[in-house]
Amino acid sequence: MTAAAVPLLEVRGLVKRFGALRALDGVDLDVAAGTLTGLIGPNGAGKTTAFACIAGAERPTAGSIRFRAAEIAGMPASRVTRAGIGRTYQIVQTFADMTVLEATTTGALLHHPRLNEAVARAEEVLEFVGLADKRQRLGRALTIADKKRLEVARALATEPDLLLLDEVMAGLTPAECGAAVELLRRTLARGITILMVEHVMEVLMPIADHIVVIAAGKTLFRGSAAEAVRDAAVVEAYLGAPPAGDGAEAGR
Amino acid sequence: MIALGAIVAAGLVTALSVRDAVALDLVFTLLLYAVLGQSWNWISGYAGNISFGHAIFFGCGAYASALMVTHGLSPWLAIPAGAVAAAALAIVTGFPTLALRGHYFSIATIAVAAIVDALVRTQPWLGRATGFELPIASGWAALQFADKGPYIVLALVLFTAVQIATIALERSRLGYYLRALRANHAAAAAVGIDERSWKLLAFAWSAVIASCAGVLYAQYTLFVDPPSTIALGVSIDIALIGVVGGIGTLWGPAVGALVYVVLAKGVALELGGTGKGYDLVIYGAIICVIAALRPHGIVGAIVDGLRRRRGALELGAASATGGAA
Repeated sequence: MTAAAVPLLEVRGLVKRFGALRALDGVDLDVAAGTLTGLIGPNGAGKTTAFACIAGAERPTAGSIRFRAAEIAGMPASRVTRAGIGRTYQIVQTFADMTVLEATTTGALLHHPRLNEAVARAEEVLEFVGLADKRQRLGRALTIADKKRLEVARALATEPDLLLLDEVMAGLTPAECGAAVELLRRTLARGITILMVEHVMEVLMPIADHIVVIAAGKTLFRGSAAEAVRDAAVVEAYLGAPPAGDGAEAGR
Repeated sequence: MIALGAIVAAGLVTALSVRDAVALDLVFTLLLYAVLGQSWNWISGYAGNISFGHAIFFGCGAYASALMVTHGLSPWLAIPAGAVAAAALAIVTGFPTLALRGHYFSIATIAVAAIVDALVRTQPWLGRATGFELPIASGWAALQFADKGPYIVLALVLFTAVQIATIALERSRLGYYLRALRANHAAAAAVGIDERSWKLLAFAWSAVIASCAGVLYAQYTLFVDPPSTIALGVSIDIALIGVVGGIGTLWGPAVGALVYVVLAKGVALELGGTGKGYDLVIYGAIICVIAALRPHGIVGAIVDGLRRRRGALELGAASATGGAA
Protein backbone atom coordinates (compact mmCIF):
# COMPACT_ATOMS: atom_id res chain seq x y z
CA MET A 1 0.00 0.00 0.00
CA THR A 2 1.44 3.33 -1.01
CA ALA A 3 0.56 6.58 0.69
CA ALA A 4 -1.83 7.46 -2.13
CA ALA A 5 -4.50 10.16 -2.03
CA VAL A 6 -7.85 9.38 -0.40
CA PRO A 7 -9.63 6.79 -2.56
CA LEU A 8 -12.83 7.76 -4.39
CA LEU A 9 -14.72 5.08 -2.48
CA GLU A 10 -13.61 3.77 0.88
CA VAL A 11 -15.59 1.01 2.63
CA ARG A 12 -14.63 -0.02 6.16
CA GLY A 13 -16.08 -2.73 8.40
CA LEU A 14 -19.30 -3.04 6.42
CA VAL A 15 -21.81 -5.30 8.18
CA LYS A 16 -25.27 -6.25 6.98
CA ARG A 17 -27.48 -8.59 8.96
CA PHE A 18 -30.77 -10.04 7.75
CA GLY A 19 -32.20 -11.32 11.02
CA ALA A 20 -29.72 -13.90 12.28
CA LEU A 21 -27.88 -14.09 8.95
CA ARG A 22 -24.73 -12.02 8.67
CA ALA A 23 -24.65 -11.44 4.91
CA LEU A 24 -21.74 -9.04 5.34
CA ASP A 25 -19.42 -9.44 8.28
CA GLY A 26 -16.76 -6.78 7.90
CA VAL A 27 -16.10 -5.88 4.28
CA ASP A 28 -13.27 -3.44 3.53
CA LEU A 29 -12.57 -2.14 0.07
CA ASP A 30 -11.04 0.86 -1.67
CA VAL A 31 -11.66 2.10 -5.17
CA ALA A 32 -9.07 4.54 -6.48
CA ALA A 33 -10.29 7.26 -8.87
CA GLY A 34 -9.95 6.40 -12.54
CA THR A 35 -9.47 2.66 -12.04
CA LEU A 36 -11.51 -0.46 -12.62
CA THR A 37 -11.87 -2.56 -9.50
CA GLY A 38 -13.29 -6.06 -9.67
CA LEU A 39 -15.28 -7.48 -6.77
CA ILE A 40 -15.28 -11.26 -6.83
CA GLY A 41 -16.12 -14.11 -4.52
CA PRO A 42 -17.89 -17.46 -4.40
CA ASN A 43 -21.68 -17.64 -4.66
CA GLY A 44 -23.32 -16.24 -1.55
CA ALA A 45 -20.20 -14.34 -0.50
CA GLY A 46 -22.17 -11.08 -0.22
CA LYS A 47 -21.08 -9.28 -3.39
CA THR A 48 -24.55 -8.13 -4.39
CA THR A 49 -25.41 -7.20 -0.79
CA ALA A 50 -22.24 -5.09 -0.60
CA PHE A 51 -23.31 -3.39 -3.83
CA ALA A 52 -26.81 -2.79 -2.51
CA CYS A 53 -25.39 -1.15 0.64
CA ILE A 54 -23.04 1.10 -1.34
CA ALA A 55 -25.84 2.09 -3.74
CA GLY A 56 -28.29 2.81 -0.91
CA ALA A 57 -30.76 0.06 -1.83
CA GLU A 58 -30.02 -1.63 1.51
CA ARG A 59 -29.21 0.05 4.80
CA PRO A 60 -25.98 -1.34 6.30
CA THR A 61 -26.18 -2.60 9.89
CA ALA A 62 -22.77 -1.15 10.70
CA GLY A 63 -19.65 0.20 9.04
CA SER A 64 -18.65 3.18 7.02
CA ILE A 65 -18.98 3.96 3.31
CA ARG A 66 -17.15 7.12 2.30
CA PHE A 67 -17.51 8.54 -1.19
CA ARG A 68 -15.14 11.45 -1.97
CA ALA A 69 -14.43 11.45 1.79
CA ALA A 70 -18.11 12.03 2.67
CA GLU A 71 -20.10 9.43 4.60
CA ILE A 72 -22.92 7.94 2.51
CA ALA A 73 -23.79 4.83 4.52
CA GLY A 74 -27.56 4.65 5.05
CA MET A 75 -28.43 7.30 2.46
CA PRO A 76 -31.44 6.44 0.26
CA ALA A 77 -30.59 5.26 -3.25
CA SER A 78 -31.83 8.41 -4.96
CA ARG A 79 -29.44 10.57 -2.90
CA VAL A 80 -26.51 8.23 -3.52
CA THR A 81 -27.14 8.64 -7.25
CA ARG A 82 -27.27 12.41 -6.88
CA ALA A 83 -23.95 12.24 -5.00
CA GLY A 84 -22.40 10.74 -8.16
CA ILE A 85 -22.73 6.94 -8.02
CA GLY A 86 -24.52 5.20 -10.89
CA ARG A 87 -25.46 1.53 -10.89
CA THR A 88 -26.81 -1.36 -12.91
CA TYR A 89 -28.72 -4.34 -11.53
CA GLN A 90 -27.73 -7.99 -11.71
CA ILE A 91 -31.32 -8.74 -12.73
CA VAL A 92 -32.04 -6.14 -15.37
CA GLN A 93 -34.54 -3.49 -14.22
CA THR A 94 -36.04 -1.76 -17.21
CA PHE A 95 -38.72 0.91 -17.50
CA ALA A 96 -40.84 -1.55 -19.52
CA ASP A 97 -43.13 0.95 -21.23
CA MET A 98 -40.44 3.44 -22.13
CA THR A 99 -38.43 3.51 -25.30
CA VAL A 100 -34.63 3.23 -25.09
CA LEU A 101 -34.36 6.97 -25.65
CA GLU A 102 -37.00 7.81 -23.01
CA ALA A 103 -35.36 5.58 -20.40
CA THR A 104 -31.95 7.11 -21.02
CA THR A 105 -33.48 10.60 -21.00
CA THR A 106 -34.93 9.84 -17.56
CA GLY A 107 -31.36 9.36 -16.34
CA ALA A 108 -30.13 12.51 -18.07
CA LEU A 109 -32.86 14.62 -16.44
CA LEU A 110 -30.94 14.40 -13.16
CA HIS A 111 -28.45 17.03 -14.28
CA HIS A 112 -30.39 18.48 -17.22
CA PRO A 113 -33.88 19.35 -15.93
CA ARG A 114 -34.97 20.79 -19.30
CA LEU A 115 -36.30 17.98 -21.46
CA ASN A 116 -34.70 19.03 -24.76
CA GLU A 117 -31.27 19.22 -23.12
CA ALA A 118 -31.81 15.86 -21.44
CA VAL A 119 -32.84 14.27 -24.75
CA ALA A 120 -29.73 15.67 -26.45
CA ARG A 121 -27.57 14.30 -23.64
CA ALA A 122 -29.33 10.90 -23.86
CA GLU A 123 -28.70 10.77 -27.63
CA GLU A 124 -24.98 11.27 -26.96
CA VAL A 125 -24.94 8.50 -24.36
CA LEU A 126 -26.81 6.10 -26.68
CA GLU A 127 -24.28 6.86 -29.40
CA PHE A 128 -21.50 6.13 -26.89
CA VAL A 129 -22.89 2.74 -25.78
CA GLY A 130 -23.96 1.76 -29.30
CA LEU A 131 -27.74 1.78 -28.89
CA ALA A 132 -28.45 4.84 -31.03
CA ASP A 133 -30.10 2.81 -33.81
CA LYS A 134 -32.50 1.22 -31.31
CA ARG A 135 -33.54 4.45 -29.61
CA GLN A 136 -37.23 4.03 -30.46
CA ARG A 137 -37.47 0.40 -29.25
CA LEU A 138 -39.31 -0.37 -26.06
CA GLY A 139 -37.05 -1.48 -23.22
CA ARG A 140 -38.94 -4.75 -22.81
CA ALA A 141 -38.40 -5.67 -26.48
CA LEU A 142 -34.59 -5.70 -26.30
CA THR A 143 -32.25 -8.70 -26.18
CA ILE A 144 -30.50 -9.44 -22.87
CA ALA A 145 -27.27 -7.92 -24.17
CA ASP A 146 -29.05 -4.75 -25.24
CA LYS A 147 -31.02 -4.54 -21.99
CA LYS A 148 -27.72 -4.61 -20.08
CA ARG A 149 -26.35 -1.97 -22.44
CA LEU A 150 -29.44 0.14 -21.77
CA GLU A 151 -28.85 -0.18 -18.02
CA VAL A 152 -25.33 1.11 -18.52
CA ALA A 153 -26.65 3.93 -20.73
CA ARG A 154 -29.23 4.95 -18.15
CA ALA A 155 -26.61 4.98 -15.39
CA LEU A 156 -24.09 6.90 -17.55
CA ALA A 157 -26.78 9.46 -18.36
CA THR A 158 -26.83 10.48 -14.68
CA GLU A 159 -23.17 11.48 -15.20
CA PRO A 160 -21.69 9.45 -12.36
CA ASP A 161 -18.11 9.63 -11.10
CA LEU A 162 -18.35 6.02 -9.96
CA LEU A 163 -20.22 3.31 -11.85
CA LEU A 164 -21.29 0.14 -10.03
CA LEU A 165 -21.81 -2.75 -12.45
CA ASP A 166 -23.39 -5.94 -11.14
CA GLU A 167 -22.59 -8.87 -13.45
CA VAL A 168 -23.04 -7.00 -16.72
CA MET A 169 -21.41 -9.88 -18.60
CA ALA A 170 -23.60 -12.65 -17.19
CA GLY A 171 -25.63 -14.37 -19.89
CA LEU A 172 -23.74 -12.76 -22.76
CA THR A 173 -22.16 -14.63 -25.67
CA PRO A 174 -18.36 -14.32 -26.06
CA ALA A 175 -18.86 -11.83 -28.90
CA GLU A 176 -21.18 -9.71 -26.77
CA CYS A 177 -18.72 -9.91 -23.86
CA GLY A 178 -15.98 -8.57 -26.12
CA ALA A 179 -18.17 -5.62 -27.07
CA ALA A 180 -19.01 -4.99 -23.42
CA VAL A 181 -15.31 -5.00 -22.42
CA GLU A 182 -14.62 -2.50 -25.16
CA LEU A 183 -17.43 -0.30 -23.78
CA LEU A 184 -15.90 -0.52 -20.28
CA ARG A 185 -12.51 0.59 -21.63
CA ARG A 186 -14.08 3.59 -23.32
CA THR A 187 -16.00 4.42 -20.13
CA LEU A 188 -12.74 4.38 -18.16
CA ALA A 189 -11.16 6.58 -20.79
CA ARG A 190 -13.85 9.16 -20.05
CA GLY A 191 -12.56 9.35 -16.48
CA ILE A 192 -15.38 7.33 -14.93
CA THR A 193 -14.29 4.98 -12.16
CA ILE A 194 -15.77 1.47 -12.20
CA LEU A 195 -16.44 -1.06 -9.47
CA MET A 196 -17.81 -4.29 -10.89
CA VAL A 197 -19.02 -7.63 -9.62
CA GLU A 198 -18.18 -10.29 -12.14
CA HIS A 199 -18.21 -14.05 -12.42
CA VAL A 200 -16.48 -14.36 -15.77
CA MET A 201 -12.87 -14.32 -14.54
CA GLU A 202 -11.22 -14.45 -17.96
CA VAL A 203 -13.05 -11.23 -18.76
CA LEU A 204 -12.26 -9.45 -15.52
CA MET A 205 -8.58 -10.37 -15.03
CA PRO A 206 -7.13 -8.48 -18.02
CA ILE A 207 -9.10 -5.25 -17.44
CA ALA A 208 -9.17 -4.95 -13.64
CA ASP A 209 -6.56 -2.67 -12.07
CA HIS A 210 -7.43 -4.01 -8.68
CA ILE A 211 -9.23 -7.07 -7.30
CA VAL A 212 -11.17 -7.41 -4.07
CA VAL A 213 -12.14 -10.93 -3.04
CA ILE A 214 -14.85 -11.45 -0.47
CA ALA A 215 -15.92 -14.77 1.02
CA ALA A 216 -18.51 -15.47 3.70
CA GLY A 217 -19.15 -11.74 4.09
CA LYS A 218 -15.52 -10.77 4.78
CA THR A 219 -12.80 -9.22 2.68
CA LEU A 220 -10.29 -11.97 1.97
CA PHE A 221 -7.91 -10.31 -0.41
CA ARG A 222 -7.09 -6.95 -1.95
CA GLY A 223 -4.48 -6.54 -4.67
CA SER A 224 -3.75 -7.00 -8.36
CA ALA A 225 -5.38 -9.67 -10.50
CA ALA A 226 -2.05 -11.48 -10.94
CA GLU A 227 -1.56 -11.64 -7.17
CA ALA A 228 -5.13 -12.84 -6.62
CA VAL A 229 -4.75 -16.03 -8.65
CA ARG A 230 -1.56 -16.89 -6.72
CA ASP A 231 -3.04 -16.15 -3.28
CA ALA A 232 -3.58 -19.34 -1.29
CA ALA A 233 -6.59 -18.01 0.64
CA VAL A 234 -8.33 -16.93 -2.58
CA VAL A 235 -7.73 -20.27 -4.24
CA GLU A 236 -9.03 -22.02 -1.16
CA ALA A 237 -12.16 -19.93 -1.03
CA TYR A 238 -12.94 -20.80 -4.64
CA LEU A 239 -11.78 -24.40 -4.83
CA GLY A 240 -11.91 -25.56 -1.23
CA ALA A 241 -8.99 -26.48 1.05
CA PRO A 242 -6.39 -28.80 -0.44
CA PRO A 243 -6.64 -32.31 0.93
CA ALA A 244 -4.38 -33.26 3.83
CA GLY A 245 -0.78 -33.88 2.73
CA ASP A 246 0.25 -32.26 -0.54
CA GLY A 247 -1.88 -34.03 -3.10
CA ALA A 248 -3.06 -30.74 -4.58
CA GLU A 249 -4.33 -32.26 -7.81
CA ALA A 250 -7.56 -31.22 -9.40
CA GLY A 251 -9.86 -32.85 -6.88
CA ARG A 252 -12.89 -31.19 -8.47
CA MET B 1 -53.13 19.50 -30.51
CA ILE B 2 -55.29 19.09 -33.63
CA ALA B 3 -57.74 16.96 -31.67
CA LEU B 4 -57.85 19.57 -28.93
CA GLY B 5 -58.56 22.34 -31.44
CA ALA B 6 -61.37 20.31 -33.01
CA ILE B 7 -62.97 19.68 -29.63
CA VAL B 8 -62.77 23.35 -28.68
CA ALA B 9 -64.34 24.37 -32.00
CA ALA B 10 -67.11 21.78 -31.66
CA GLY B 11 -67.72 22.89 -28.08
CA LEU B 12 -67.96 26.54 -29.03
CA VAL B 13 -70.40 25.77 -31.84
CA THR B 14 -72.48 23.75 -29.37
CA ALA B 15 -72.43 26.55 -26.81
CA LEU B 16 -73.56 29.11 -29.37
CA SER B 17 -76.07 27.17 -31.44
CA VAL B 18 -77.64 24.37 -29.39
CA ARG B 19 -80.59 25.45 -27.28
CA ASP B 20 -81.64 22.05 -25.99
CA ALA B 21 -81.02 22.16 -22.23
CA VAL B 22 -80.65 18.39 -21.89
CA ALA B 23 -78.04 18.20 -24.65
CA LEU B 24 -76.12 21.13 -23.18
CA ASP B 25 -76.22 19.50 -19.77
CA LEU B 26 -74.69 16.35 -21.26
CA VAL B 27 -71.91 18.37 -22.93
CA PHE B 28 -71.17 20.19 -19.68
CA THR B 29 -71.08 16.91 -17.74
CA LEU B 30 -68.84 15.37 -20.38
CA LEU B 31 -66.29 18.18 -20.12
CA LEU B 32 -66.45 18.23 -16.32
CA TYR B 33 -65.86 14.48 -16.07
CA ALA B 34 -63.09 14.64 -18.65
CA VAL B 35 -61.34 17.18 -16.39
CA LEU B 36 -61.94 15.05 -13.28
CA GLY B 37 -60.71 11.94 -15.10
CA GLN B 38 -57.55 13.79 -16.17
CA SER B 39 -57.01 15.01 -12.62
CA TRP B 40 -57.19 11.39 -11.43
CA ASN B 41 -54.95 10.33 -14.31
CA TRP B 42 -52.07 12.51 -13.07
CA ILE B 43 -51.57 10.56 -9.88
CA SER B 44 -53.25 7.24 -10.72
CA GLY B 45 -52.40 6.97 -14.41
CA TYR B 46 -49.02 8.58 -14.91
CA ALA B 47 -47.71 7.90 -11.39
CA GLY B 48 -49.59 4.62 -10.90
CA ASN B 49 -51.01 5.28 -7.41
CA ILE B 50 -54.73 4.50 -7.61
CA SER B 51 -56.85 7.08 -5.77
CA PHE B 52 -60.31 6.08 -4.55
CA GLY B 53 -60.95 9.39 -2.84
CA HIS B 54 -60.71 11.91 -5.63
CA ALA B 55 -64.19 13.28 -4.94
CA ILE B 56 -62.90 15.05 -1.83
CA PHE B 57 -60.69 17.29 -3.97
CA PHE B 58 -63.65 17.97 -6.23
CA GLY B 59 -65.56 18.69 -3.00
CA CYS B 60 -62.89 21.19 -1.87
CA GLY B 61 -63.71 23.38 -4.86
CA ALA B 62 -67.48 22.88 -4.61
CA TYR B 63 -67.57 23.65 -0.89
CA ALA B 64 -65.16 26.59 -1.27
CA SER B 65 -67.57 28.01 -3.81
CA ALA B 66 -70.61 27.42 -1.60
CA LEU B 67 -68.89 28.99 1.42
CA MET B 68 -67.69 32.04 -0.50
CA VAL B 69 -71.07 32.74 -2.05
CA THR B 70 -73.13 32.15 1.10
CA HIS B 71 -70.78 34.49 2.97
CA GLY B 72 -71.25 37.20 0.38
CA LEU B 73 -67.77 36.82 -1.14
CA SER B 74 -66.83 36.44 -4.79
CA PRO B 75 -66.97 32.87 -6.11
CA TRP B 76 -63.76 33.62 -8.01
CA LEU B 77 -62.01 33.47 -4.62
CA ALA B 78 -63.12 29.85 -4.37
CA ILE B 79 -60.64 28.93 -7.11
CA PRO B 80 -57.50 29.70 -5.04
CA ALA B 81 -59.14 28.78 -1.72
CA GLY B 82 -60.33 25.39 -2.98
CA ALA B 83 -56.96 24.77 -4.62
CA VAL B 84 -55.07 25.42 -1.39
CA ALA B 85 -57.42 23.19 0.62
CA ALA B 86 -57.23 20.40 -1.97
CA ALA B 87 -53.44 20.54 -2.22
CA ALA B 88 -53.11 20.51 1.58
CA LEU B 89 -55.42 17.50 1.83
CA ALA B 90 -53.44 15.72 -0.89
CA ILE B 91 -50.14 16.35 0.87
CA VAL B 92 -51.49 15.14 4.22
CA THR B 93 -52.81 11.97 2.58
CA GLY B 94 -49.85 11.38 0.31
CA PHE B 95 -46.86 12.19 2.49
CA PRO B 96 -46.96 9.05 4.64
CA THR B 97 -48.29 6.72 1.92
CA LEU B 98 -47.06 7.65 -1.56
CA ALA B 99 -43.65 6.00 -1.23
CA LEU B 100 -44.99 2.77 0.31
CA ARG B 101 -45.23 -0.43 -1.70
CA GLY B 102 -48.57 -2.20 -1.87
CA HIS B 103 -52.02 -0.71 -1.63
CA TYR B 104 -51.53 1.61 1.34
CA PHE B 105 -52.02 4.74 -0.72
CA SER B 106 -55.34 3.55 -2.16
CA ILE B 107 -56.54 2.54 1.29
CA ALA B 108 -55.46 5.90 2.71
CA THR B 109 -57.44 7.77 0.05
CA ILE B 110 -60.57 5.80 0.97
CA ALA B 111 -59.98 6.44 4.69
CA VAL B 112 -59.38 10.16 4.29
CA ALA B 113 -62.40 10.47 2.01
CA ALA B 114 -64.56 8.70 4.61
CA ILE B 115 -63.26 11.01 7.35
CA VAL B 116 -63.93 14.12 5.28
CA ASP B 117 -67.41 12.86 4.40
CA ALA B 118 -68.23 12.17 8.06
CA LEU B 119 -66.79 15.53 9.12
CA VAL B 120 -68.77 17.50 6.57
CA ARG B 121 -72.01 15.77 7.56
CA THR B 122 -71.57 16.83 11.20
CA GLN B 123 -70.18 20.35 10.86
CA PRO B 124 -72.82 23.11 10.85
CA TRP B 125 -70.51 25.55 9.06
CA LEU B 126 -70.12 23.00 6.25
CA GLY B 127 -73.87 22.62 5.87
CA ARG B 128 -74.07 19.18 7.46
CA ALA B 129 -75.87 16.51 5.41
CA THR B 130 -78.25 18.99 3.78
CA GLY B 131 -75.53 21.03 2.12
CA PHE B 132 -75.88 24.47 0.55
CA GLU B 133 -78.18 26.10 -1.93
CA LEU B 134 -76.33 28.96 -3.56
CA PRO B 135 -78.24 32.27 -3.79
CA ILE B 136 -79.17 33.07 -7.36
CA ALA B 137 -77.31 35.85 -9.12
CA SER B 138 -76.16 36.57 -12.65
CA GLY B 139 -73.12 37.74 -14.57
CA TRP B 140 -69.40 37.11 -14.72
CA ALA B 141 -68.67 38.67 -11.30
CA ALA B 142 -71.05 36.21 -9.65
CA LEU B 143 -69.93 33.39 -11.98
CA GLN B 144 -73.56 32.49 -12.60
CA PHE B 145 -75.53 32.56 -15.80
CA ALA B 146 -79.17 32.12 -16.71
CA ASP B 147 -78.02 30.49 -19.95
CA LYS B 148 -76.01 27.28 -20.23
CA GLY B 149 -73.81 28.73 -23.01
CA PRO B 150 -71.27 30.50 -20.75
CA TYR B 151 -70.95 27.40 -18.58
CA ILE B 152 -70.03 25.36 -21.64
CA VAL B 153 -67.44 28.00 -22.54
CA LEU B 154 -65.99 27.91 -19.00
CA ALA B 155 -65.92 24.11 -19.01
CA LEU B 156 -64.16 24.21 -22.39
CA VAL B 157 -61.59 26.68 -21.05
CA LEU B 158 -60.92 24.43 -18.06
CA PHE B 159 -60.79 21.28 -20.19
CA THR B 160 -58.41 22.91 -22.68
CA ALA B 161 -56.16 24.26 -19.94
CA VAL B 162 -55.98 20.83 -18.28
CA GLN B 163 -55.25 19.05 -21.59
CA ILE B 164 -52.47 21.55 -22.35
CA ALA B 165 -51.10 21.12 -18.82
CA THR B 166 -51.11 17.36 -19.38
CA ILE B 167 -49.26 17.70 -22.69
CA ALA B 168 -46.72 19.82 -20.78
CA LEU B 169 -46.57 17.12 -18.09
CA GLU B 170 -45.78 14.44 -20.67
CA ARG B 171 -42.91 16.58 -21.96
CA SER B 172 -41.52 17.49 -18.57
CA ARG B 173 -39.15 16.08 -16.00
CA LEU B 174 -42.13 15.38 -13.71
CA GLY B 175 -43.90 13.37 -16.42
CA TYR B 176 -40.83 11.25 -17.19
CA TYR B 177 -40.16 10.69 -13.50
CA LEU B 178 -43.74 9.59 -12.79
CA ARG B 179 -43.66 7.07 -15.65
CA ALA B 180 -40.28 5.80 -14.44
CA LEU B 181 -41.58 5.40 -10.88
CA ARG B 182 -44.68 3.59 -12.11
CA ALA B 183 -42.61 1.21 -14.25
CA ASN B 184 -39.89 0.34 -11.72
CA HIS B 185 -39.33 2.15 -8.44
CA ALA B 186 -35.92 0.55 -7.78
CA ALA B 187 -34.56 1.56 -11.17
CA ALA B 188 -36.09 5.01 -10.71
CA ALA B 189 -34.25 5.46 -7.39
CA ALA B 190 -31.05 4.39 -9.15
CA VAL B 191 -31.33 7.34 -11.53
CA GLY B 192 -31.75 9.72 -8.61
CA ILE B 193 -35.55 10.09 -8.42
CA ASP B 194 -36.94 10.71 -4.94
CA GLU B 195 -40.28 8.94 -5.10
CA ARG B 196 -42.11 10.80 -2.36
CA SER B 197 -41.39 14.36 -3.40
CA TRP B 198 -42.18 13.90 -7.11
CA LYS B 199 -45.37 11.97 -6.42
CA LEU B 200 -46.48 14.56 -3.85
CA LEU B 201 -46.03 17.24 -6.48
CA ALA B 202 -48.16 15.26 -8.95
CA PHE B 203 -50.82 14.51 -6.32
CA ALA B 204 -51.06 18.16 -5.27
CA TRP B 205 -51.54 19.28 -8.89
CA SER B 206 -54.06 16.52 -9.41
CA ALA B 207 -56.03 17.76 -6.38
CA VAL B 208 -55.89 21.37 -7.60
CA ILE B 209 -57.33 20.37 -11.00
CA ALA B 210 -60.20 18.48 -9.34
CA SER B 211 -60.88 21.46 -7.08
CA CYS B 212 -61.22 23.80 -10.09
CA ALA B 213 -63.79 21.41 -11.54
CA GLY B 214 -65.58 21.52 -8.18
CA VAL B 215 -65.91 25.32 -8.29
CA LEU B 216 -67.38 25.20 -11.78
CA TYR B 217 -69.77 22.41 -10.77
CA ALA B 218 -71.06 24.35 -7.75
CA GLN B 219 -71.61 27.47 -9.83
CA TYR B 220 -73.46 25.38 -12.41
CA THR B 221 -75.80 23.35 -10.20
CA LEU B 222 -76.03 26.00 -7.41
CA PHE B 223 -76.43 23.10 -5.01
CA VAL B 224 -73.67 21.40 -3.02
CA ASP B 225 -74.21 18.47 -0.67
CA PRO B 226 -72.13 15.41 0.33
CA PRO B 227 -73.71 12.76 -1.97
CA SER B 228 -73.25 14.88 -5.11
CA THR B 229 -69.67 15.97 -4.41
CA ILE B 230 -67.60 14.08 -1.83
CA ALA B 231 -69.31 10.67 -1.51
CA LEU B 232 -67.43 7.46 -2.31
CA GLY B 233 -69.67 6.88 -5.35
CA VAL B 234 -68.36 10.05 -6.99
CA SER B 235 -64.77 8.95 -6.31
CA ILE B 236 -65.45 5.61 -7.95
CA ASP B 237 -67.07 7.24 -10.99
CA ILE B 238 -63.93 9.37 -11.42
CA ALA B 239 -61.64 6.34 -11.12
CA LEU B 240 -63.73 4.30 -13.57
CA ILE B 241 -63.57 7.09 -16.15
CA GLY B 242 -59.80 7.03 -15.90
CA VAL B 243 -59.58 3.24 -16.17
CA VAL B 244 -62.05 2.84 -19.05
CA GLY B 245 -60.40 5.45 -21.25
CA GLY B 246 -56.87 4.32 -20.62
CA ILE B 247 -54.65 5.17 -17.69
CA GLY B 248 -51.55 7.25 -18.26
CA THR B 249 -52.67 8.54 -21.66
CA LEU B 250 -53.48 12.10 -22.74
CA TRP B 251 -56.89 11.32 -24.26
CA GLY B 252 -57.90 8.40 -22.06
CA PRO B 253 -59.91 10.46 -19.55
CA ALA B 254 -61.83 12.29 -22.31
CA VAL B 255 -62.70 8.97 -23.99
CA GLY B 256 -63.64 7.50 -20.59
CA ALA B 257 -65.85 10.51 -19.86
CA LEU B 258 -67.56 10.10 -23.23
CA VAL B 259 -68.30 6.43 -22.55
CA TYR B 260 -69.53 7.33 -19.07
CA VAL B 261 -71.81 10.16 -20.17
CA VAL B 262 -73.24 8.28 -23.14
CA LEU B 263 -73.95 5.17 -21.09
CA ALA B 264 -74.55 6.24 -17.53
CA LYS B 265 -76.41 9.44 -18.38
CA GLY B 266 -77.55 8.94 -21.98
CA VAL B 267 -78.96 5.47 -21.46
CA ALA B 268 -80.56 6.55 -18.19
CA LEU B 269 -82.26 9.41 -20.02
CA GLU B 270 -83.54 7.13 -22.77
CA LEU B 271 -84.71 4.32 -20.55
CA GLY B 272 -85.56 6.55 -17.63
CA GLY B 273 -87.79 4.99 -14.99
CA THR B 274 -88.64 2.08 -17.28
CA GLY B 275 -85.00 1.08 -17.59
CA LYS B 276 -84.82 -0.43 -14.13
CA GLY B 277 -81.07 0.14 -13.94
CA TYR B 278 -80.22 -1.35 -17.37
CA ASP B 279 -77.85 1.59 -17.88
CA LEU B 280 -75.77 0.51 -14.89
CA VAL B 281 -75.83 -3.10 -16.08
CA ILE B 282 -74.55 -2.10 -19.53
CA TYR B 283 -71.94 0.26 -18.08
CA GLY B 284 -70.78 -2.38 -15.61
CA ALA B 285 -70.54 -4.98 -18.37
CA ILE B 286 -68.39 -2.66 -20.50
CA ILE B 287 -66.03 -2.03 -17.58
CA CYS B 288 -65.69 -5.79 -17.03
CA VAL B 289 -64.92 -6.37 -20.73
CA ILE B 290 -62.31 -3.61 -20.79
CA ALA B 291 -60.70 -4.76 -17.55
CA ALA B 292 -60.48 -8.32 -18.86
CA LEU B 293 -59.40 -7.69 -22.45
CA ARG B 294 -57.74 -4.28 -22.55
CA PRO B 295 -56.38 -3.41 -19.10
CA HIS B 296 -54.68 -0.35 -20.57
CA GLY B 297 -58.09 1.03 -21.56
CA ILE B 298 -59.39 2.14 -24.92
CA VAL B 299 -56.66 4.68 -25.69
CA GLY B 300 -53.99 2.34 -24.29
CA ALA B 301 -55.07 -0.37 -26.73
CA ILE B 302 -54.83 2.09 -29.65
CA VAL B 303 -51.35 3.22 -28.57
CA ASP B 304 -50.16 -0.40 -28.36
CA GLY B 305 -51.55 -1.07 -31.83
CA LEU B 306 -49.70 1.92 -33.30
CA ARG B 307 -46.46 0.87 -31.63
CA ARG B 308 -46.74 -2.63 -33.02
CA ARG B 309 -47.25 -1.18 -36.48
CA ARG B 310 -44.15 1.00 -36.12
CA GLY B 311 -42.15 -2.07 -35.07
CA ALA B 312 -41.11 -0.72 -31.68
CA LEU B 313 -41.81 -4.11 -30.17
CA GLU B 314 -39.91 -6.19 -32.70
CA LEU B 315 -36.45 -7.45 -31.97
CA GLY B 316 -33.80 -6.01 -34.24
CA ALA B 317 -32.13 -8.13 -36.91
CA ALA B 318 -28.69 -6.92 -35.78
CA SER B 319 -29.11 -8.04 -32.18
CA ALA B 320 -30.67 -11.32 -33.29
CA THR B 321 -27.54 -12.24 -35.27
CA GLY B 322 -25.43 -11.04 -32.34
CA GLY B 323 -27.30 -13.48 -30.12
CA ALA B 324 -26.68 -16.34 -32.57
CA ALA B 325 -22.94 -15.68 -32.79
